[in-house]
Amino acid sequence: MSQLNEKSIELEIPFQTSRIAEVVYDVLRVDKEPKRGGVAKVLSLTGNILTVKFSAQLTRQLRVSVNGFLEKLDLTLETVQLFGPPVSESYSHY
Amino acid sequence: MVVAIGFEGSANKLGIGIVKDGEILSNCRRTYITPPGEGFMPRETAQHHRQNILQLLKESLEKSGLRPEDIDVICYTKGPGMGAPLAMVAVVARTVAQLWNKPLLGVNHCIGHRFARVLKISNDPSPGYNIEQLAKKGNKYLQLPYCVKGMDVSFSGILTYMEERTNSLLKAGYTAEDLCFSLQETVFAMLVETTERALAHCNSDEVLIVGGVGCNIRLQEMMGQMCAERGAKLFATDERFCIDNGVMIAHTGAEMFKAGMKLPWIYSSITQRYRTDEVEAAWRDD
Repeated sequence: MSQLNEKSIELEIPFQTSRIAEVVYDVLRVDKEPKRGGVAKVLSLTGNILTVKFSAQLTRQLRVSVNGFLEKLDLTLETVQLFGPPVSESYSHY
Repeated sequence: MVVAIGFEGSANKLGIGIVKDGEILSNCRRTYITPPGEGFMPRETAQHHRQNILQLLKESLEKSGLRPEDIDVICYTKGPGMGAPLAMVAVVARTVAQLWNKPLLGVNHCIGHRFARVLKISNDPSPGYNIEQLAKKGNKYLQLPYCVKGMDVSFSGILTYMEERTNSLLKAGYTAEDLCFSLQETVFAMLVETTERALAHCNSDEVLIVGGVGCNIRLQEMMGQMCAERGAKLFATDERFCIDNGVMIAHTGAEMFKAGMKLPWIYSSITQRYRTDEVEAAWRDD
């Protein structure tokens, strides 16, 4: 397999505030992709916009990874809605 | 004084508990019950946890009478367990840690065993409970594979043995009750043997039984007999604390927190394999 076959998807997700974007970024960046999943996932944060880039050789791999990510994103946002907003401007633990 | 909230979801039980200096303020649980003869699969179990976790968190907070700001530390099961359900629960634990600006600790869950597919025993309330009820009525012992290697026990041979022979055994005059009885006697003998060896190795005189199977009266009886013979003390408890629950995670986390343990944020992931001896017990001084 060469790099030529690589496909990628980029998601751009805007949030109400940059603090919420940061919370979501911190919650979701922790989980690494499974080693044999064949997917590379890179999260980055600019202001209130979270960008996630997925790349893989097979569309199936991309679909699985994006799906899983979106499920966790939904859960995070629902948690923010029910138990937020964030009480502090930044996280003060390690 | 430490107030800790614990999130547990390594298997089919989802539990959220809050403790304050060892006192239990709330201990809420939802169990994903599968049809008879079926085990719980990662995907469906994760879905169950996903659908229940936020409501359960609300319930646990309300029951405790505390507000989020009263909590000192957020604890969650880091492993071992099924990946997808663990990950779901960890997402919520991380999110509230961020929202409420509280430290986060990953706790090792330890040991889960399940059985009871072959006989299509009801999973409600749990397969183990139903096996115990059936076993009480059995008395014809069938010799099953007994597999102890040092401190390790293996149950896989038993499952295969039963799967291959269940139908012919039922025809040969063994009842489902007898098979449950034989299963319990064999498996528990293995556990008692290794426990006794562990006591000797560690020079300890205390045994604590936990986990869903720990509710089993026959296991407690056999373990109690062994302990009595060597002058050891047995500690057992009932289903509120035996079965997977949030309180055990909260309490362990509280001890870790008091000992000054810290979890760097990037390590707040989950791991399906997480051995008990990988944990540094910094909260103990003996």
